[in-house]
Amino acid sequence: MSQPDVKRETAPQAAAPKPATAPRRPEPAPEYRADQILGLSASQLAALLESPQATVFQKAKACQRLAAIGGKAAVPALAGLLADPQLSHYARYGLEPNPDPAAGEALRAALKKVRGALLVGVINSIGARRDPDAVDPLVRLLASADPEVAQAAAAALGRISGLRAARALEEGLRRFRGPVRNAIAAALLVCAEGLIKQGERERGLALYRALISPDVPKAVRLAAMHSAFVVENSPARPI
Amino acid sequence: MEQGFISRRHFLKRTSQAAAVAGAPLIVPASVLGQRAGAVPPSDRIVMGGIGIGSRGAYDLQSFLARRDVQFVAVCDVREERREIVKSTVDKHYGTRDCTMYADYHELLAREDIDAVLIATGDRWHALLSIHAAQAGKDVYCEKPCSMTIAESQALAETFRRYGRIYQAGTQRRNAGNFVLAVELARSGRLGKLRKLHAQLVDARSMPPIPSHDWLPAEPEPPKLVVDWDRWLGPCPWRPYNRLYVQGRWRNFFDFHGGSILEWGSHTADLCQWANDADHTQPIEYEPEGSNEGPFAVHCRYANGVELVMRDSGWLGLGSCSVRFEGDDGWVETGDTSKMEGSESVREFLRPVSDYREAMPNHVRDFIECVKTRSQPRANAAVAASSHILCHAAYIAFQLGRKLVWDPAKGEFAGDEEANRMRSRALREPWRI
Repeated sequence: MSQPDVKRETAPQAAAPKPATAPRRPEPAPEYRADQILGLSASQLAALLESPQATVFQKAKACQRLAAIGGKAAVPALAGLLADPQLSHYARYGLEPNPDPAAGEALRAALKKVRGALLVGVINSIGARRDPDAVDPLVRLLASADPEVAQAAAAALGRISGLRAARALEEGLRRFRGPVRNAIAAALLVCAEGLIKQGERERGLALYRALISPDVPKAVRLAAMHSAFVVENSPARPI
Repeated sequence: MEQGFISRRHFLKRTSQAAAVAGAPLIVPASVLGQRAGAVPPSDRIVMGGIGIGSRGAYDLQSFLARRDVQFVAVCDVREERREIVKSTVDKHYGTRDCTMYADYHELLAREDIDAVLIATGDRWHALLSIHAAQAGKDVYCEKPCSMTIAESQALAETFRRYGRIYQAGTQRRNAGNFVLAVELARSGRLGKLRKLHAQLVDARSMPPIPSHDWLPAEPEPPKLVVDWDRWLGPCPWRPYNRLYVQGRWRNFFDFHGGSILEWGSHTADLCQWANDADHTQPIEYEPEGSNEGPFAVHCRYANGVELVMRDSGWLGLGSCSVRFEGDDGWVETGDTSKMEGSESVREFLRPVSDYREAMPNHVRDFIECVKTRSQPRANAAVAASSHILCHAAYIAFQLGRKLVWDPAKGEFAGDEEANRMRSRALREPWRI
């Protein structure tokens, strides 16, 4: 290809008003340097997680690195931290993107072992993985006495979608009130999209219609009306 | 001073109540109806709140405050000092004491009188807050980079489509005359068949492409009212408090920042996407070159054969955030000086078309007009998400140090599990998208 009249200079010249560029970063603490940990193999990282001598920082960085390279063998070490208040999120950081079924099993098992905010985190990770095997325990958690847990379960069910999740959320919309009901309504929007993508057009439309009600939060109601209109008028086109 | 600012809904409620009580024809001052020169009636004003307004946000805020059809009523920040500074700025502008301060953004988003929010927190909060705002029925102007991951970018676009809300990314060069002219030269065919696009990234000496995984030394946490450290971290992994993070030195740390590629690629690669008529797709190949100390580049290729080079050096010196478009019949390059250079074939079109300082007011105007008309601004959620996915893909390729193949339709890398795992990050509890 010819490039007529293309001007090129190699050295950047002085220039102009600059958008944010950061000054060089400040010095980290010696005990908080990550380079060595990030260079370890998956098995070394897993061993670090189980070492009583390892610091919180070392374990945190090991979990983050295992998110990219950890296989099935790393799952038990990560799962062992799910109940640790300081490291539970890091453990999920390592487990959530791991495609091995063992990671999903570990997260589902943790549903019975952790409580409060940590349980919310585990539910969120299950939702992010769209784990269909978790639908039944999530349906049970929809009725949790902890509203944060119930809302997380609703959101996860919405992301997983499918007929079973849709039924549970619809029932929840009738049964619950307040913030949990609002979370269920928002989850139903997501669930409906999932159903339509799976070819369950009529079922998805039914969910939208259930949301077109004065006692559903306005933003969700409007979104449902809009989505129903789009789907009804574009039979061949997924939303 | 503009007097009598009240929200649209509040105005309608009050006036209808008053009319009902009085049982008499409603008499409304001319200023309220917008009949006095320059006045805008409450029904045409967009009521706004701001979240995380720091130095950059204060710059954005000025463009919103300058508009008579915007009424700023609330600010939220995890830092007490910031809340008070913004309230003072807003109240001084309006000559009132009405700007309400919040430490918890849920309270701001729950206000039914607020139509839209300005989000200018650190990058870690951008996507999550935008999504939550849309779910609360708000329109959003959000600073860039708009997301921390590919997954957040996708969720951003999906949510704004789902809820039908208006979103404008803070990529104001989409409304800067010189950049728009350069893009139009490319899109109109004046450069001939497009061959190569160039996007400037921050010099690696100032901002490396790969941020640090280290932590700063632990310091005692301030009282929650002064700085809510847990909320400052938000969805990011916990680490001990250090005042430097909250004082703006969070850039160049992996958990909070996407490095040089996201920092300027969100502007410059975004313009290249537009020039290539590729706003709703991304390049399919990404090949990194160079080191974290610089110089460095990521060579990308679109399905239509056009190359995109994201690089930190070798520019003509036309200012930061430069872009260059090359075709069979000519080329054009421009940057933040607003100066333009180009081949003989397009030189007749190259003249001073704008001052860079006009970009922000133009970009804000684009947003506000779209909020009113429910049309899509130039840097809408779908467009911004696509550009950010490009940048994240380039960032992942640079971290891995190998060529990656991307499938824009599937939203995944071909045959590279490690790269695919890096498309998302687990959010700290209780946060989710």
